[in-house]
Amino acid sequence: MAPRLPARCWRQLAPPTATPLARTTTPSHTAAGAAALPYSPSPSGWSTLQPRDKPYRYNQVSSGLPAPTTGPAAALKRKEHSTPVRAGLLGIKKGMTVFMGRTGARIACTVLQLDRVQAVLNKTRAKHGYWAVQVGMGERLAGNVGAPLLGYYEAKGIAPKEVLAEFRVRNEKGLLPVGVQLFPDWFHVGQRVDVRSNCRGKGFAGGMKRHGFAGQEASHGNSKNHRTIGTTGPSQGSGSRVMPGKKMPGRMGGQRVTVQNLPVLLVDNELGIVVVKGAVAGPKGAVVRIQDACKQDPPPQAFIDKTMAQLQERFPDAEAHLQAARERHLELKAARQEKRIAELMAEGMKPSEEEAEIMEAIIAASIADDAAAVADTKPTF
Amino acid sequence: MNAAPLARRPLACLKAGLRQTRQHRLFARQLATEATTTPTETTEAAATTPRAPLQHDFFKLNDRKTKTLRTAFAVYPTTTAAGTQSAAPPPVNALLSLHEAQIKKMDPTGARTALVARNREAAQPGDVLMVTHRRGGEPFAGVCLSIRRRGIDTGVLLRNHLTKVPVEMWFKVYNRNVAGLEVIKRRAKRARRARLTYMRQAKHDMGSVEDLVFEWKRTRKVYSTGKPAAAGKGKDKGKKAVAAGGKKK
Repeated sequence: MAPRLPARCWRQLAPPTATPLARTTTPSHTAAGAAALPYSPSPSGWSTLQPRDKPYRYNQVSSGLPAPTTGPAAALKRKEHSTPVRAGLLGIKKGMTVFMGRTGARIACTVLQLDRVQAVLNKTRAKHGYWAVQVGMGERLAGNVGAPLLGYYEAKGIAPKEVLAEFRVRNEKGLLPVGVQLFPDWFHVGQRVDVRSNCRGKGFAGGMKRHGFAGQEASHGNSKNHRTIGTTGPSQGSGSRVMPGKKMPGRMGGQRVTVQNLPVLLVDNELGIVVVKGAVAGPKGAVVRIQDACKQDPPPQAFIDKTMAQLQERFPDAEAHLQAARERHLELKAARQEKRIAELMAEGMKPSEEEAEIMEAIIAASIADDAAAVADTKPTF
Repeated sequence: MNAAPLARRPLACLKAGLRQTRQHRLFARQLATEATTTPTETTEAAATTPRAPLQHDFFKLNDRKTKTLRTAFAVYPTTTAAGTQSAAPPPVNALLSLHEAQIKKMDPTGARTALVARNREAAQPGDVLMVTHRRGGEPFAGVCLSIRRRGIDTGVLLRNHLTKVPVEMWFKVYNRNVAGLEVIKRRAKRARRARLTYMRQAKHDMGSVEDLVFEWKRTRKVYSTGKPAAAGKGKDKGKKAVAAGGKKK
């Protein structure tokens, strides 16, 4: 392509001097065929390309180029179909038992218990780059929580949690009101879930146990090498080196294991348990993550709507509580920064003006009601 | 949703406010707008639904050297969620409760539970038991080698010789397929082991219990009310048999 030389430059250079720059942009070329050519010389030079509306942004939707296949947006789009619609729950593996059916079926199952599972934080595409819900479980003594996290929970109006975990969701419809508690009826009997947990740690294990190596012979001249891994690679011709990733003895277990598509056999809010068919990795007491199976269709929309309505019904004040907690947090935070938290605690937390007004209004209304009731009961003559 | 607490640092407000005064462009997502809009929202929300004042304690952090109060944080009660009294800790013995509920469902009369209870009336290792299958077929009788008590998964291990071949089978007491479970012969003396695995040895092996079963069937015929004795059809008969076995002893 011809260099884009500003017109003011080549006009000056155009007369008799035969510089390389002048040769490339011959004035006769531009001047003679100006009317006939499909392009017109502009003050900023000329080009054979079609004019673009935004030439400085090269990969726009309007430019007709394919959508990028990499980058955050493309990654989210790619993972969309395998990201569950709803957030999951945290549970504790209580142990295994059987589920006796009415027809004589006997199904091995695992009991997972939920301990005060609450939604703690919503992560959004705009702020965090993806959609997710942070969920907390259990209870932790305030003395075992650092100051930064104490402030975090203070702003949420939530007691410190034992475990925090994040569940990715497909879009903003999967987000939850902060602070609400999730119960086992978040899942329905018969649906499939993925259960993730850390398996038992086996410690430092040899090649036979860790990778299923065959080991070596018991006899035929073998000497003290019955369970060793043998050779780790070819010799001189191949560089006399061990290939990266060679399976060797080492730490085994303790990593996260996902068991997919486990059917839910039972949910019980009173006991706080979700019973899933089959085994789940980890010992009793292991923390497990339970979420709608990513390789199955999401639960029916009617069921999802029902669970969300239940949340609203059980925790009607969630928004107001969160807002109040935030305000209280700001108030306390300012007090902490100004070193007057002690006096604030000594005099007790006074209700804010708004709160005082509300309380006065409630009291006044109740007094008025009482008066009206008295007036009603008063005999009329 | 939770952008506010981080965004509403006083310094950040100041910075954003200065920026706004400097350039008069409207930034829809500026921190200052967030800080200014929220109070109005809350007053509206509060006016419509008056909420109860927040309940929380303070957790004090003391200075390590001077032992004086360094700072304090509000800590909310663990029994509430989103301002609602709901979050009680779940029962610790959930597995036990689940077992009880399942047993109640699978054994409403309590006959099966009584058969494997820990008392002298119940079946014990060393007794000869007979199991009837719900779908028919020959009942399986054998000497009980062990009783494995696991709530709903409780089972008995029976050993017999069928056509001179030793056979051992586990039967789950609460399974619906086990229609009847009867004690047909008590051990003369209580076994002093919980698991009689030594009975697998040739020296101690009891052999076939066929003659015991035959004897038991004959006895039942004598004591029955003239009707033909159907050996262990159904749970109630099994229960009766258990009671008879107890009396015999």
